[in-house]
Amino acid sequence: MALLERSEWYDIARRTEWTPGYVSDDELYPEGHSGDYDIPGEAWSTYDEPYKISYREYVDIQRQKDAGAYSVKAALERMDLRSKVDPGWISTLKLHYGAVSVVEYNAGLMESRFVRWARSPGMRNMGTFGMLDEIRHAQLQLFFPHEYVPTDRQFDWAHSGMKSNNWGIIAGRHFFDDMMMTRDAVSTSILLNFAFETGFTNLQFIGLSSDAANAGDFSFSKLIQSIQSDEARHAQIGTPMLAMMIENGEKERAQRLVDVAFWRSWKLFTILTGIPMDYYIPLDKREGSFKEFMQEWIVTQFVNSLEDLGLAKPWYWDIFLADIDEHHHGQQLGTWSWRPTLWFSPAAGVGPDERDWLEEKYPGWNDTFGKCWDAIIENLKRGDIGRTVPGTLPIICNMSNIPIRRTTRWSTTGGSTTSARSPIAGSSSRTRSATPPTKRSLIACSPARSSPPTSAVCCSTWASACSATAVATPTTTSGCPPTSRVPTRRRRTDRWQHSHSR
Amino acid sequence: MTEELKPLRTWSHLVGQRRRPSEYEIVSVGLLWHARGETVPFEVEGASFMNDWVMRYRDNSAITHDDWDSFRDPDELVYRTYNILQDGQESYVDGLLDQYDNEGHDESLSGAWLDVLEALYTPGRYLVHTSQMASAYLVHMAPASTICNCAAFQTADALRWVSRIAYRTASLAKAHPDRSFGESERATWENAPAWQGYRELMERALVAYDWAEAFVALNLVAVPAISEGYYRAMALSARRNDDTLLALMAEAALRDGDRARRWSQALVGHMLDVESNRAQLQEWVDAWAPYGTSAIEAFAGELPDVPDRAAAGSEALRRAHSSAGLATSDG
Repeated sequence: MALLERSEWYDIARRTEWTPGYVSDDELYPEGHSGDYDIPGEAWSTYDEPYKISYREYVDIQRQKDAGAYSVKAALERMDLRSKVDPGWISTLKLHYGAVSVVEYNAGLMESRFVRWARSPGMRNMGTFGMLDEIRHAQLQLFFPHEYVPTDRQFDWAHSGMKSNNWGIIAGRHFFDDMMMTRDAVSTSILLNFAFETGFTNLQFIGLSSDAANAGDFSFSKLIQSIQSDEARHAQIGTPMLAMMIENGEKERAQRLVDVAFWRSWKLFTILTGIPMDYYIPLDKREGSFKEFMQEWIVTQFVNSLEDLGLAKPWYWDIFLADIDEHHHGQQLGTWSWRPTLWFSPAAGVGPDERDWLEEKYPGWNDTFGKCWDAIIENLKRGDIGRTVPGTLPIICNMSNIPIRRTTRWSTTGGSTTSARSPIAGSSSRTRSATPPTKRSLIACSPARSSPPTSAVCCSTWASACSATAVATPTTTSGCPPTSRVPTRRRRTDRWQHSHSR
Repeated sequence: MTEELKPLRTWSHLVGQRRRPSEYEIVSVGLLWHARGETVPFEVEGASFMNDWVMRYRDNSAITHDDWDSFRDPDELVYRTYNILQDGQESYVDGLLDQYDNEGHDESLSGAWLDVLEALYTPGRYLVHTSQMASAYLVHMAPASTICNCAAFQTADALRWVSRIAYRTASLAKAHPDRSFGESERATWENAPAWQGYRELMERALVAYDWAEAFVALNLVAVPAISEGYYRAMALSARRNDDTLLALMAEAALRDGDRARRWSQALVGHMLDVESNRAQLQEWVDAWAPYGTSAIEAFAGELPDVPDRAAAGSEALRRAHSSAGLATSDG
């Protein structure tokens, strides 16, 4: 066909900026939506998306991708997944769909905000494709789990979950309200597209895809591979914006956005990805450990992309690196213990072989987290189920909305406890010391408020409450980076409602 | 531990429906967690701007309904059927472009008609892009996901035609390098009298922040005005000036406009479930229709060989309001 190449007309299609004549610029682009960044008007037109596609190409490619994904689903529809795969994998699916499907839809709304409020026409066009992508992801991830609803009520959470006041859902909803729904278009493209999508979604969509295939769930494997191929495109929306900010004197604010989004994303993914990878997925089906995926996709690749842009690692980097070894293990103890509050049936994943694997991947696991599980197992062996289900509530981080856990190795001095590394909220300092003498840290480390558990090596709010031998007073150290926004507390009493689907 | 509940045959919110839900209903209905009737849409302190905005312009809109989620797109489009539909439509347009390129179409156009294309066709990417932006506003401000979806596909349709206009602009520039195709459009959009009606309509529609007023301004006035003036009148004029390619492309764009009309009428019907909405809708139509009429008349009045199209376009706009169940405006 004698058609023009895309490159011959593409730039014309993104030269659509004009000077308003009948309304003011402030009305057309209010700061709250379009941002108040000190970037000159002409600079916006320099936005250059690295991943270019035309509408014509888009509908063709996406039609073919959908044909592939839906044909796999159709082919496997008669397979009784529940009888074919490990229950741990089923729990992984329920966690994933309950936390992701409807979020994807609202990510489409986020992309539509770029189309209306971004000052760069190229970003407006890319936002249009991103909006369509996210609608696709939502519809796929609603249609696929709907098939399971007639056999398992818990899959209803794929649709209904995000409107509930379940504690885990509140944490996720708060994250996405903060990072995705309520900030100006420029900030959102850094928070979500750059920090969240180029960094953390790889963990979920690439990491879990291999595990799904290994577990025999080819439908899900194909599904999330297909989704990831879209993410790779629209995740690029934030990168040129970040470069533009840095070029125009907004580097400090750009760095701050990355710092905030990275920390918040990390905390969320410890539960969403960390727990399934290291505990739910059957041992012989695991592609790698959560830590290994983190090191590949985040510590190496994401940091490379940060440094390529001239940004630094987040100021709490050392704390984060230590957290990779520990945080999700504490969350696993907690989520398993508070299992009546979940919309899925969590696997403990701590049989003898699994413990060997955990010890290999996380040296020291048996002497720390393993001791907490020993206590739980002893209670179970005695038939004392009641002692494995806490009667108290955990302390919730006021920012991340997930239970605070303290699985750092404690040093005990004179009856007081101090954390060797503890990110403290409330300061923007990038040279934070390990144990800053702030009011918050004094409270957290006060012996009057915190007693070390008998094991003296592992204390978490989660873990201590279910221990048969040691009940530690929760500490209150929160892992909040600066500038993050805390939730409105209107429905606090509802957040521990039990999942109705059990 | 609580009792294990029995499985359901479909999502819990669709269980009460007598028939088996369609794929459209399974994947499209009830997806806005921030429109579930809480005191504030977003549970984040420090988000006062966005909470205020959404509460003021969505939740406290003058147009009300107890059950926005019961709105259904009459075409019941889902993402995958949208792509199947539009991939076919784009193949058709590719076929047109290929065929007419092989026939030396652009080189055969008259100088007088090239003047028209420079003045009235290629600057249209600015117009269509404004409808892309305005449609996107409805995507994130509408109170139900089934409405958001319609607006999202409409946004994408607009990008489709921005792209095709850009394509044709590049083609014409290649065939006629001595002309200003690809260079003069912004100035024409901002200054030429023929465009100022559309420009005023669209700029004002873009700052109609109440979501329902934005819908009226865009879908009951601007989109029909674009269809009647920029596409339909242009198609007729093009055919009478031996530019069959443009006529066929404009008519292809009208098929997208027809889909917009269908869901717009359905949404007006949904709004009119609440009789008290009628007066406000009518007030907005009466306020916005004159901008649409002026836009059509200013634009179509400049097109050659279609002396009746300005009046016919304005009449079509009035008919659109009538068929949506609202009184015709004298505009």
